[in-house]
Amino acid sequence: MNPFTDIDFTQPWALLLLPLAVLPLLRRRRDTLLFPHLAWLPHDRAGRIAGFAWRALAVLGLLSIVLALAGPGSPETSVTRTGRGAEILILMDRSRSMDAKMKPSDWRTIDPHSLLHQIDSRGEPKSAVARDLLSKFVDQRPDDRFALMFFSAGPMNVVSFTQHDAVVQAGIKAGGLGRGLSDTNVGRGLIAAIESFDQRAYSGSRIIMLVTDGGAHLDEPTRKRIRSGLQANRIALHWLYLRTLNAPELGDEASAGPPDAPGDDPASIEARNAWATQESIPEVSLHRYFQSLPTPYHLYQADSPEDLAKAVAEVGRQQNFPLDFQEQIPRQDHSRLFIALAVLCCTGLLIYRSMLLRSWL
Amino acid sequence: MSQRSDDAVQEFHYRLPYRASGQRPGSHPGTSLGSGQEFVSHMSLYDRPDPRRLDLRASVRSTTGDWLVRVNRQRVGVAVQLLVDVSASMNFGAQRSKLQVSADFVASLGHSAFRIGDALGMLAFDHRERPDLCMPATLSRGLGGVMADSLRGCDTTAGGIEGLEEAVMQLTGREALVFLVSDFHWPLDRLGAVLDLLSHTFVVPVVVWDPAEIEPPPHDAVAPLRDAESGVRRTLFLRPKLRAQWREGVAARRAELDAFFSARDLRAFYIHGAFDAEAMSQYFFEATA
Repeated sequence: MNPFTDIDFTQPWALLLLPLAVLPLLRRRRDTLLFPHLAWLPHDRAGRIAGFAWRALAVLGLLSIVLALAGPGSPETSVTRTGRGAEILILMDRSRSMDAKMKPSDWRTIDPHSLLHQIDSRGEPKSAVARDLLSKFVDQRPDDRFALMFFSAGPMNVVSFTQHDAVVQAGIKAGGLGRGLSDTNVGRGLIAAIESFDQRAYSGSRIIMLVTDGGAHLDEPTRKRIRSGLQANRIALHWLYLRTLNAPELGDEASAGPPDAPGDDPASIEARNAWATQESIPEVSLHRYFQSLPTPYHLYQADSPEDLAKAVAEVGRQQNFPLDFQEQIPRQDHSRLFIALAVLCCTGLLIYRSMLLRSWL
Repeated sequence: MSQRSDDAVQEFHYRLPYRASGQRPGSHPGTSLGSGQEFVSHMSLYDRPDPRRLDLRASVRSTTGDWLVRVNRQRVGVAVQLLVDVSASMNFGAQRSKLQVSADFVASLGHSAFRIGDALGMLAFDHRERPDLCMPATLSRGLGGVMADSLRGCDTTAGGIEGLEEAVMQLTGREALVFLVSDFHWPLDRLGAVLDLLSHTFVVPVVVWDPAEIEPPPHDAVAPLRDAESGVRRTLFLRPKLRAQWREGVAARRAELDAFFSARDLRAFYIHGAFDAEAMSQYFFEATA
């Protein structure tokens, strides 16, 4: 894009001063020294060039000052860019539980009695691992547009959708500052994440990547809002569930629907009770609710950093569609260029003036 | 007579190097006979009835027996004519303009001419004769000051040899001592004809140059110059090479002037910056020697 194709001026009235640039071309007697008889002086090419150069410098200097005053710039434009990939909103838990350590990769071989100590001594904080991986994930997908949102008791919008990965990386990095916050409110976070897709043209697949280690019981209005929001904005939900020690595993049992066991016989009652017991666990409850959503939903359980890496890679594989979006390029001001030019010209003029012979004495 | 208080009018001594005709007594060697110191011959008292100069010894010695009278040559006064260039280039000068310097010279000449008993007249010219500055030859004290003042206060325009040609017409046929005061910033090819018209006079070319025009400024600089007469502009970047060229140009012009004048048995008198009466006296001592 050529920045000089269309130029606008913030103060076009200053262009009225442009005729001032002709002033140095007026031949004034004051500029010269009287000499009785030029014919006996030699012709001097360097002198002629100097005489021409100072005029040119003065004209150029005045022109650039006037133009700089007028404030030239290329107007704000928007460019359509096509990227491959998705619009991914990373919704990351910033609660204190995320500061807990993850199981080391060989946790299955460790004696369950010493597992707790092993985790304490060898594990890495969940949030650190998650940030690390997310950072790599963002790195690997330059075509995607990312947004970053933290949540704890409430949502914290960090980076809205952008393709400038450096900003996203910086946001992810900033998540590691300080300790986690006290509360986890998945519902509010999700609603805020969904709302950030409102008012945006649908230009490619949309993903909310929920990175958390715990679930929540959502009340009915929240569930409704999440359901309708996801549906209206056509957002796929990916839950990266970071499992800690003693956290429930979201297996088949948790994923199962309510048992079809009516009646009063003890077996059916038992089945219903078992299901209800499971339902009381926040994670299971959340998982079951997500499963009930009409929009796509994937769960990635991660016990160890390796699992998490696999999960992230999985998301990466799944989302690879071309994506059109408009990027706003803000107005660019070119007056600095002209000021620099004017300074150069004035410096040249000062040098010329310092060399000038102003009197015969 | 308004004079600058810091330098009084200088006097210089001048004589014509040859005999001049004329009846008015003065200081220059003349051709007419009269009451002078210079003995020419004896004549018969009848031919020249001036008994005051009877030479008794010569009469006694005379073979013819005539009364002989000494006949002497009279020293004469001549008209001194100034031809002053008042073109715009004469208005140039770093400290004092060449016209001011010329005026100093004119004041000095007026003083000297009155002391010696010569009438002084002035003609001025730029690109044509300047009648406002014309002054007929007059023997008068204080005339030099008047002339000098009129020169100091005159306005200048572009000059040239045409004015000189016009002015010199008034001097033709009269014996005089002519001071041609100018900076000679015009082509010399027509000056020859002018000098031929003045062949019966003794012409002293007074070349007035300002130090600023003959010697370039000592430091490197960019000099935007404007010709005083034509208004042509030229910017010079003064550097050693150009300064050498400048000096060469001045020396060449000087050599040209000297060659031109010596071909007519004249010698130019140069004034650089200030008039020096001693130098002028010296000039005439050399000329009359």
